[in-house]
Amino acid sequence: MTSTSGIFASVLGGAALVLGIAYGWTARDHREQELGALTDRIEQLESSNAALADQAARQDDLLAIVTELETALATALDEAEAARQATPVALAEPEPSAAEEPETVIATATGLEFGDPEQGEAVFAQCRSCHQIGQGATDRIGPHLNGIFGRRAGAHDGFNYSDDMAMMGSDGLTWTIETLNAYLENPKALVSRTRMNFAGLKDADDRADILAYLRQFSASPQNIPEAAPTAQAREVELAPEVLAIVGDTDYGEYLASECTTCHQQDGSDQGIPSITHWPTEDFVVAMHAYKQKLRPHPVMQMMASRLSDEEIAALAAYFAESE
Amino acid sequence: MKLNRRVFIGTGMAAASTLTAPMVHAASHGKPKVVVIGGGAGGATAARYIAKDSDGEIDVTLIEPTRSYYTCFFSNLYLGGFWDLENLSHSYGTLASDYGINVVHDWATGIDRDAKTVALAGGGSVPYDRLILSPGIDFVEGSVPGWDLSAQNAMPHAYKGGSQTELLKAQVMAMPEGGTYVMVAPPNPYRCPPGPYERVSMVAHVLKANNPTAKIIIADPKENFSKQGLFEEGWQKHYSGMITRIGPDFGGGNVTVDPAAMTVDVDGELIQADVVNVIPAQKAGHICEAAGLTEGNWAPVDGASMVSRLDENIHILGDASNQGDMPKSGFSANSQAKVAAMAVRGALTGSRVFPAKYSNTCWSLIATDDGVKVGAAYEPNEEKIASVSSFVSQTGEDAALRKATYEESIGWYEGITSDMFG
Ligand SMILES: Cc1cc2nc3c(=O)[nH]c(=O)nc-3n(C[C@H](O)[C@H](O)[C@H](O)COP(=O)(O)OP(=O)(O)OC[C@H]3O[C@@H](n4cnc5c(N)ncnc54)[C@H](O)[C@@H]3O)c2cc1C
Repeated sequence: MTSTSGIFASVLGGAALVLGIAYGWTARDHREQELGALTDRIEQLESSNAALADQAARQDDLLAIVTELETALATALDEAEAARQATPVALAEPEPSAAEEPETVIATATGLEFGDPEQGEAVFAQCRSCHQIGQGATDRIGPHLNGIFGRRAGAHDGFNYSDDMAMMGSDGLTWTIETLNAYLENPKALVSRTRMNFAGLKDADDRADILAYLRQFSASPQNIPEAAPTAQAREVELAPEVLAIVGDTDYGEYLASECTTCHQQDGSDQGIPSITHWPTEDFVVAMHAYKQKLRPHPVMQMMASRLSDEEIAALAAYFAESE
Repeated sequence: MKLNRRVFIGTGMAAASTLTAPMVHAASHGKPKVVVIGGGAGGATAARYIAKDSDGEIDVTLIEPTRSYYTCFFSNLYLGGFWDLENLSHSYGTLASDYGINVVHDWATGIDRDAKTVALAGGGSVPYDRLILSPGIDFVEGSVPGWDLSAQNAMPHAYKGGSQTELLKAQVMAMPEGGTYVMVAPPNPYRCPPGPYERVSMVAHVLKANNPTAKIIIADPKENFSKQGLFEEGWQKHYSGMITRIGPDFGGGNVTVDPAAMTVDVDGELIQADVVNVIPAQKAGHICEAAGLTEGNWAPVDGASMVSRLDENIHILGDASNQGDMPKSGFSANSQAKVAAMAVRGALTGSRVFPAKYSNTCWSLIATDDGVKVGAAYEPNEEKIASVSSFVSQTGEDAALRKATYEESIGWYEGITSDMFG
């Protein structure tokens, strides 16, 4: 790309047409004619493209049917094999009983974690017949999976989704570690008539691995802070000793240091409300209202949602004492 | 109200030492010593929290060459005419007088990690039991061919606070009618992911009022950038026709500059510019590398306490650290400082240490009363600090919400600067 008109045409074609933004690094006048010709050419190409895409779609449909049959066969074989093996294995692993669990342990409850991306790459092999990922990936029978984390379901431009997938998207289904995990486990449980003809990955470790692999092809939060979360919030169940810090002002003081980044300590309330001299009970009620998302402010919902009841009490105790 | 009830009231000696730097070995009475290098968003916060919460049990020395810290945050608002230069400047006086912090205005030139001492440019050295490093960023040499630090007057980066910001503003105001402003945007990762694009918005705001036929071109090596949809919506709405972004598909990553000729070569296309704002690729502040604390361009840390993965007596905060998912922002550095302060007090005085929690919110201003924000909460795991939930402003929000968001950002600025400097 070495000429003025070159950059201009690319910007016009690539940015202005796609984004619909009238970017205006105006062309030198004598280039205008040339541009007119280019625009005509783009239109021609677009219409012949559309014809080609039509043909390709028909071929894809045929391919899809073949793959569906293949997958169905593979699934049936897998299921038969799984049914043969499953029961004894499940019985061999005893459920950990509450009595055996030492009380002092901090248990991480429902948190989903990413597994091993390398293992995930191997597991992904079975998906490759329909989905591409990585540099240069394009839509095949299934949409390409670059940037899947944080993407609204059924929202990838130019891909022809099932009605159900499109509807889930407009209802607000977004691909996160949890929703992808659920979808991979049993696609039809999440999206009833999805076109993805895949029985599901029953092994939680396989899913964790594949999710770790997929996550590598989505934006990293360090660079794009609004990128989808990479982990699940810990739901920590605290042991009795830890719970004994209820209403502990030291703990409250540490927690309060998160508040003072925005809420000024001298009580001024420009742009952000003051939180000093707040009656304890009102404080506790307000924090729970944010936690339950009854109060709308997104920053406060986020902050409150990860405070336990005890932590809210500790904060309240600290603020009460410092008045 | 006495949120600051534990403030340690500084002695005359501590205050005096701000004037005569090398009092650093003075009367410590065998108290544990913490030295903080860098008095920015991370360092000032850490020094203040350790001094405030240790009730005088820990000696805190803060090493920072500048007498006034100019925040980078809100420097774009200064470019846009929404904020005064004086309002960006903060002094270390209160940290010395009210918190008893020994503020030493000097450069740290090296760290002897075995002897646990920090060498100063002015001579002498300062011993520590725990060291906190928050030196911010430096630039990767050669990342924009044709540009080096000697060219920063002709082609300012304005990516460290103070005089560079003033220079860039003066250049924008002096642009000829219909002139061209070129920004060379940095590759990931860099400080303040939305920063370059907020800057473009603010420059456009000024040009729209004073020089409406002027053009802005961004040469960008990145496919995507933070809050992209929000910025692009805002640019179309407020500055239609003024801003062009050349992404990597069109050679935006293949840039050479000539500071003498004031030209920018974008993939073979020569642009004659009036202002060129080069924001080079970035790395941890040089002292980290000098002390052998980096892997690649950044200093790896353990998210549980921000302690270096290479030295258990050194905590590294803010932009310099490689911690995981948190963006390099003032908010993040401030959040990390509180976790490190708690860990350091715990190690030196046995005070209680609670599980680390982190958060970040970045506000950006697109035009008058058109503010947007993005934020997330974070928790450490063994591998990194991981994001656990997040939110971002939406396109198409109504004007009242955007105005409230902008006002919120002003509240945040006041909040974080008093959290840093007392
Ligand atoms: C244009 C722009 C806009 C921004 N907007 C925002 C925003 O809206 N919100 C936000 O949260 N963040 C914003 N940021 C990012 C924010 O400024 C940084 O992330 C933050 O300052 C990082 O803090 P730090 O402590 O790591 O480094 P800094 O704040 O840069 O502090 C480092 C300090 O260390 C000192 N130092 C360096 N080396 C040495 C040495 N060898 N010896 C002694 N002292 C040394 C320096 O003088 C400096 O004062 C913005 C940045 C820019 C450039």
